[in-house]
Formats: sequence, C-alpha cells, structure tokens
Amino acid sequence: MDRWRSILLNRFVLVPGAIVFAIGLWNIYVTTHNHGIVTGRVVDAAGRPVADATVGLWIFNFTTYEEKERVKTDADGLFRFTNNPSHRIQLGAEKAGAGRSQRVPVFLYFRSQDTTLETPLRLAGQG
Amino acid sequence: MIHRYPRSPIHLALILASFVMLVPFYWVLKTSVSGENIYAYPPSIIPRNVNLFYYVDVWYAIPFARYFMNSVAVSVIAVIGNVAFNAMAAYALTHGFRGKSFVVLLFLSCMMVPFQATIIPAYLITGRLGLLDSWLGLALPQCSTIICIFVFKASFDAVPRSLIDAARIDGLSEWRIIWHIMMPLSKSAIATNVILAFIWSWNNFLWPLIMTRSADMQTLPLGLARFLSYQEDTTGALYAFCIMVLAPGLLLFLLAQKEFIRGLTSGATKG
Amino acid sequence: MVFLKEPMTPPALRATSPLRGEAIRLRHRTRRALLYWCFLAPSLAIFLLYRIIPIVWNLVLSFQYWSPLGEAEPAGFDHYEDLLQDDVFWQALWNTLIVIGSAPIGIVIALALALLVNSDIRGRDVYRTIIFVSYPLMTVAVAIIWRWMFDERVGLINYAARTLDLIDKPIPFLNSFTWALPSVIVANIWQILGFYMIILLTGLQTIPHELHEAAAIDGAGPVHRFWRITLPLLRPSIFLAFVIGMLNSITSFDLVYVMTGGGPGRATEILVTYIYKLGFVQTKFDEAAAVTMVFFVLLIATAWAANRLAGGNVGAMDTE
Repeated sequence: MDRWRSILLNRFVLVPGAIVFAIGLWNIYVTTHNHGIVTGRVVDAAGRPVADATVGLWIFNFTTYEEKERVKTDADGLFRFTNNPSHRIQLGAEKAGAGRSQRVPVFLYFRSQDTTLETPLRLAGQG
Repeated sequence: MIHRYPRSPIHLALILASFVMLVPFYWVLKTSVSGENIYAYPPSIIPRNVNLFYYVDVWYAIPFARYFMNSVAVSVIAVIGNVAFNAMAAYALTHGFRGKSFVVLLFLSCMMVPFQATIIPAYLITGRLGLLDSWLGLALPQCSTIICIFVFKASFDAVPRSLIDAARIDGLSEWRIIWHIMMPLSKSAIATNVILAFIWSWNNFLWPLIMTRSADMQTLPLGLARFLSYQEDTTGALYAFCIMVLAPGLLLFLLAQKEFIRGLTSGATKG
Repeated sequence: MVFLKEPMTPPALRATSPLRGEAIRLRHRTRRALLYWCFLAPSLAIFLLYRIIPIVWNLVLSFQYWSPLGEAEPAGFDHYEDLLQDDVFWQALWNTLIVIGSAPIGIVIALALALLVNSDIRGRDVYRTIIFVSYPLMTVAVAIIWRWMFDERVGLINYAARTLDLIDKPIPFLNSFTWALPSVIVANIWQILGFYMIILLTGLQTIPHELHEAAAIDGAGPVHRFWRITLPLLRPSIFLAFVIGMLNSITSFDLVYVMTGGGPGRATEILVTYIYKLGFVQTKFDEAAAVTMVFFVLLIATAWAANRLAGGNVGAMDTE
C-alpha cells in the first residue's frame, strides 16, 4: 500500500496524470458542446426585435471570410444556425427597409462550439 | 564566515539578472495574448484585449497534434535506445578486456566530432538505409551519446565488485546482471539519461530539417520554423505557437531540473 | 576481502588437470571479452555510422567531384582552391571566428553570476533555476523570441532605447550589416549563460572553504582572494566552459537560420549555415564537404589552443 502511494505521489506520475485528466475533461466538454449551433438576436436601431431579417454566416478561410449560410429570424428576432463547422466566423444581419448591421466577428474555442451571441445584431441606417 | 557582508546588493544584482532572463518570455507571452495589432507603436507593456484565440487559430491552422506526436515518438525512441545501448556499453567498459583502451579512445574522439560536421554523409547514409522520412531514421543518430555512457559508467563503477561476482556464482548471465542488479542500483543515472536524451532529441532542429521530406513527418521545431514564413500578419499567432512549443519543454525541465543539472555537470566534468 | 577476478570453474571440471583448467579459463575469458564487444556493438555501430564514417566520407568527398546522380571523379585540391577565392566562405569564416571570440564575454558574466549565486543567500536555488531556464529550451523558439525582441518596430530593445532617449530612430537590428551579428551573439549568450553558470558553480563549490578562511585570517582582502585562490582553482571549469561555449557557438545553426537566415546579405553567415546552404539548397555536396573539413579543422584547432592556454592536459579523461 505504501509502495503504491509513493509511486502515485511521485511528481513524475502526478503531473502528467493531472495533465491527462485535464485533457480528458476538456475533450468531454468539447464533445458535448460541438453541435455547431449559433444563436442570437437581431434588433433595430431603437432596440426592438426585428422579425424576418436575413442573417448571414461567414466562415474564415485562410485569409478571408466566405459566406456559408443564411437564415431568417423568427417573430422575436431570434435566429439560429445549426451546422457551423468553423472556429472563426462572422455574423451579419440585414433587412430590406430597416438597414443592415455590421459584420460581427465571433471567435470560438473549438470548431463548431455551441455559442450564443451576447449583444444582439443592431440594424442601422437606410434600407 | 569570517566576514559578514551585506546581502541586499547581491539580491539586487541577482534580481536584475533574473529580470533580464525572464523579460523575453514575458514579452512573447504578452504578444501572444493581446488582441490588437501587435505592430502598433508604442507597444503596450500590459497586454490589451487579452484573449486566447490565437492559440485556437494555431491549433487549427497547422497540424500541431501531428507535429507533437512526431516529436514525442522520435524522442521516446531516442530515449529507449539511449538507456539500453548506453547501459550495455557502460557495463562493458567497467571490465577490462583486450582492446578496451582503443574503444575508450574511439569514444573520446567521437566527442570531438560535432553533429554539424556530419550532416551530409549522415543524410546520404540514412538515405541508403531507406530510413529517410521515418521516426527511426530521425531517432537513430541520437540513440547513443558519449556523455551518457560515462554517466552510466560512473554509476556502475560504484557498485561493489563482490555483488557482481556473487551474481556470477549464482549463475546469472551478464545480460541479466545488467538488468537485474546494475540498473536498479543506478536509478539516478537512468533518470539523467532519460532527461538528457529526451531534451536533446526534442530540441533537435537541423537533423529533421535535412531528413524529412513530407510535411506530416515534421517535428515541432521544424513546424515552428516553417510557420515563420507562413503568415505575414499582424496577429500574435506565431508567438502563440512559440509558447505552445515552449510549454512542454519548460514543464519537463521544471519537473526534472535536478536530474538535468546533475547530468550536465557530471557528464561535463568527466571531460 | 578477496575479490574474484575470474569466473570460478564449475565443480565438475575441478577434477581435471591444471593445464586443462588453464585452457578452460582462457576460453571463458575470450568468451567474456566477446560478450563485452557484443555489448559495445550497438553504441559503436551508431558512432561508427554517424560520426566516424561521415567524417572520413567528408574527407574523401572533398577531394572529388560528385553529384548524387553521377559518378565520382577525383578533383585533387580544386574545391579547396575554389574556397580560397570564395568571398562567402571568407565571410562565413570571419563571422564564425567572431562568434567564437564572443564566448569569453558570456563566461565572464556567468562567472560574476556564479559568484553571486554561490554566496550565502536565501533563495539561491530559485535564482539558479531562473538563470538556467533558457538553456534546455528549444533554440528555434529562443530565436523567435529574440527576433521579436530585436524587431525594428515594436521590439523591446528598440522601445526601451527610444524611451530612455538613447536613440531617436529605431535601429533595424536584424537587417543592418553592423548590428545583425552582435544581435545573434546576444541571443546566443542569453541562452547559454545558465549553462556556463552551472559549470562554474560546480567548480566554485569544490573550492574548500578553509582556503578562503585561512587567507582571510592572514589578512587577504576579497579581491585578492579572488585572484589568487578562486580563479586558479577554477581554471578547469573555465576551460570546460570555454570549450563547450566554443562548440556551442560554432554549431549554432538553429539560432542563425531562424533569426536572420544568414543575412542581411551574408552578414550573419557562419560556416555551418554555409555548409547547409551549399549541401542542401544548392545540392553541391562536394563543395560542402570541403567547407565541412575546414570547419572541423577549425574546431580541433580551437580546442587544442584552448587546451594549451589552460595549461595543457586539463580535462584529461581518466581512461580506467
């Protein structure tokens, strides 16, 4: 028993063991959170939710962003993408008549991380 | 001590020296986490916009896991080869036999031949052996080092002769004497061997540079050097890669610094 | 205590005549010697394959015209004569000599640090670790760190100098003909300082305390004690540090390749980078072999000169 304890508490076992354990935990977190779901809200200049706006998803491809998908917001101004494959994306919204928002870059910690945009996409300016 | 001299100037000087030794690390660390244009002047001492996303970028932009695996595999092969071959050679050197002084002379003269003087023929030889672009080919030149042989020899010399003779009377073959008697008594020599061999193989840049042909056989130092010409951008991705590459070596050193330093000094002072 | 020098003969053979016993012991001895040679075989094979044969092959290759596709033809001293005319070679040789000559600077600084760390202060192990930490790290990473430190726009060196009003325009360290090689030397010294310090520290710790105390009782001041006691007894360590430093600086391919690539122009080209470029970029293996032989001779000559300077036979190996 004592021999096992001295082996386990040896720093050469403890430190790599802790690292492997942490990596295991991280991988578990990644596999349970990588469905590629990106959600957020679109509001207009006054802060009211905008329904039926078109939101685009751009994916970083070595040097530029390429558009991948577009969805429309529902009645509450919420949008939802379901298969984002990348770790570095941009989101932008527009609606005819209400303006368009800036393209907001979103950085993720791993590919297809499920994420929710905290500040809503704000439509501004002319149509 | 006869004289007692003030301690604080010594501390001051050493703190200054430590500062000089640590500041470059801090500078690169700060660059790898600051989320702004890193070429903006004046550079900030405290990083602004701290984020870890450069690390994510580097992880996906280059096959970091593959390079890491290559480095680990090559180092492990080198370590196993080192421990096995060096122990055998050192054991043989603890006994007298015909031609022993010739062998010792040979070893000593090999110490004077640096690796850089052998790169062309070593490359040609490895090519003839068909080992280009393989883990074994990368590890083979590093599978035995003279310093480590003498570290083992010093440790084996300290084992009392009577123990070995008793083992021989008991009928143990020489091979088993090494592994069942000498090695368990030389734990520190083994640790020194492992650390030195691992770190030398881990940091090796010139040999993989010459040897590897395909991109997925490259080791970490090679990947890092290639990344330099990869992207001329204003992000801290290169420095994130640098930190990612330094971290394992730093961790290993901090874990095993006693063995490392002991190995260097004992091997070095033996000539 | 009786130490057995030979294996004991098995009981069954003890009954035979002494002459036969002698023959058996001889056979045992030769068998044992053969066994030892077998133990030495793997290490010897690796050294043969990757140290001895390459040096000899380099020597032979430097006297031939050879390309990987064709046959070898004798070339006499042609390659060496070409070297004498080659500007790049002379520049590389000169740069290598400068780098070798910079090793004493590092040793002096390390000696000062070793003396400081050796004194009776708290936390000396921490200081020792901090100063030594740069040595086991990857030289490629160290090169990138220092490349960034010397950066013209936002490097720390330029920033500090401008903030302290030492200069008013940034110096392009790695792009200027005068500053490139000193920058590489600074990075090299930074990396190996800890190693020098460890060697000197080990040497300092073998100097017995009583010597210092006896001299102090006799009235010798600390500076006097340093010059007359410490320094002479430290000569083996200093010699060792110099040889290692010379070996390290003469072979610092990684640092030069990543920091400057040999440039600007050929300002930081050293012999090893020239060998690499000749052999693996221009595929002129035979010319590279000639440069390699010059490099090897330079190395041996410097080590021999250092040995003579240190008083001869320092660091001699105990061949027992």
